[in-house]
Amino acid sequence: MAVFASYGEALTLGLASGPACIAACGPVLVPSLLTQRAGFRPHARYLSAFLAARLLGYLLFAVVAWELGALASMLPAPRALMMGVVYCLLAGVLLWYAVSAGRNCAHACEDSKLVKIGGPKNSEIAGSASLGFLTGLNLCPPFVAAGVRAAQLSSMAAALLFFAVFFIGTSVWFIPFLSFGCIARNQAVITVARMAMVLIALYYLALGIAMLLGKKAYGY
Amino acid sequence: MATDARLPRLARPAPRGILRTLLLTLPIFVWSLLMFFHPGANTERLSTIAGLITAIFMTALFYMMMRTGSTYRWRRIFFVSLGILFPVGFIYNIVSVRGTMGIPIEEMIAGRTPFCFMPIPLLILPAALTRTLVFPGSFSSVSGHGMATMVGIWLALTLVIGKGWCSYACFFGGIEEGVAAIPPRARIRKLDPRWRYIPWAVLLAMVLLSLALFEPAYCMWLCPFKSVSEYVAARNTVGLVQNVIFILLFAGLVIVLPFLTKKRTQCSWFCPFGAFQSIFNKISIFEMKIDKERCKPCLLCRNACPNLSLSKESVARGETLLSCMKCGACVDACPRGAMVWHIKGTGIQAKSEPARLMFLYGAWAMAIMFGGSIIAEGLAVILHFVV
Repeated sequence: MAVFASYGEALTLGLASGPACIAACGPVLVPSLLTQRAGFRPHARYLSAFLAARLLGYLLFAVVAWELGALASMLPAPRALMMGVVYCLLAGVLLWYAVSAGRNCAHACEDSKLVKIGGPKNSEIAGSASLGFLTGLNLCPPFVAAGVRAAQLSSMAAALLFFAVFFIGTSVWFIPFLSFGCIARNQAVITVARMAMVLIALYYLALGIAMLLGKKAYGY
Repeated sequence: MATDARLPRLARPAPRGILRTLLLTLPIFVWSLLMFFHPGANTERLSTIAGLITAIFMTALFYMMMRTGSTYRWRRIFFVSLGILFPVGFIYNIVSVRGTMGIPIEEMIAGRTPFCFMPIPLLILPAALTRTLVFPGSFSSVSGHGMATMVGIWLALTLVIGKGWCSYACFFGGIEEGVAAIPPRARIRKLDPRWRYIPWAVLLAMVLLSLALFEPAYCMWLCPFKSVSEYVAARNTVGLVQNVIFILLFAGLVIVLPFLTKKRTQCSWFCPFGAFQSIFNKISIFEMKIDKERCKPCLLCRNACPNLSLSKESVARGETLLSCMKCGACVDACPRGAMVWHIKGTGIQAKSEPARLMFLYGAWAMAIMFGGSIIAEGLAVILHFVV
């Protein structure tokens, strides 16, 4: 009974913190989704890869949480260091994505009014998986709360299962992102999405560098 | 550029008669007096004088719009005055109260950050998802500058005039419009049309980042007008970097590029609030239309548009782009009277002057209420130092 209660707690925590998760993933997910082809299938494929990689990030975190046992009380300095690295990597992947989406667009737009985005499926999946994995390592408050509970469980398998159930709870909130497939794609949408990706990448890069240098994020 | 300035110009309509113009101006005169002139009330003498000057100023400009049939050049006088006098009044007040233009963290925690309309689009998603306002200001200020007041005024007016807000109320756009008016001709004429997408990208990025990081991302890092309003009280290197970004953006987008292009480049290529306002052009009943039977097309309207809201393709379609600010520059520039003010749902052949009048009454009433009060405040400060 206690086991069910524990996983029920994970599911509830995931469902309750879903808005925080989509908020954290939004800057990465929304523009990159907008550079995909319109339609349900490409979006389903992209989201699946993104979420699968995010699950991998979660499980990796669960292993570390259980091994260290005290991840939640991770000192501010290494935590800021980790977040700094994650932000810099996210910025790098986003910049790469923005450039490659442009290259694909330029190639596919030559004689078609409708923009055909996305090069080889493998690179598309690699991009979404990289972004999913990095956002999976994002140390947002609900994620840290789940880490605390996972660290208290009796075995690593239990910690992994706890995070998997937590992941399912949060993932429900990502289903509406499939509706982005209904947004018609044209040169304007793709260009706006690419420009937004560059801006977000620069923002993350600035935050990441500031964290790595041990500076306060703001100068107030 | 397929511009032909030698096209036969249709005779401009004769100026309105003085009596008729005075009658049309009367409601605006009354509204101006109601707004600014309160003799006997507990206001300072200099404020009363500034209010009276503003009332006369706003009424005179409206009179000239009615008399000449031209909109843009008279509106521009108001708009540039607003752009110049806003920092005067704002900086004076903030320095009087706080002693510095830099906002320290203590003020933010206390919720005493003056609210401006720029972060409105950034507040929507966090408020909808978490019922949290990601702005360090008070929602229920009694000063009249509180967020509730600002959001309420903005919403009511913007539903009526759409993106006209950016030409008749925004207290930032006047500076660049003034700078753009200085050179006789543009030094840079070939402008990549893709740059028009940047405001949408800034809007998308800032909305998403504000939601993710729970901060008004635009105000923190990208607002060029921090340079002339309320900068970051820099207490470390990052704060210094923030201020350098504000100054560079202001210098580039508000001073240098408008001077070189004769366009409102910050509004056209950067402002996320402007992009957000564009959406309301879909709701507003007023729009600019091109009578294709009269149009040649000479593209003088496209060249005159300060906001890059006309393209060759849109002129061919007989309409402006979504970003149109309804400033009237295109109407004034058209030699054949093909560009007209228009009310949605009416025929293009319908007389355009009633549409122009209806729009201008709404827009000018807003300009008096919102921009005029800022002008009066700035004037009062100048009088305070001069007299």
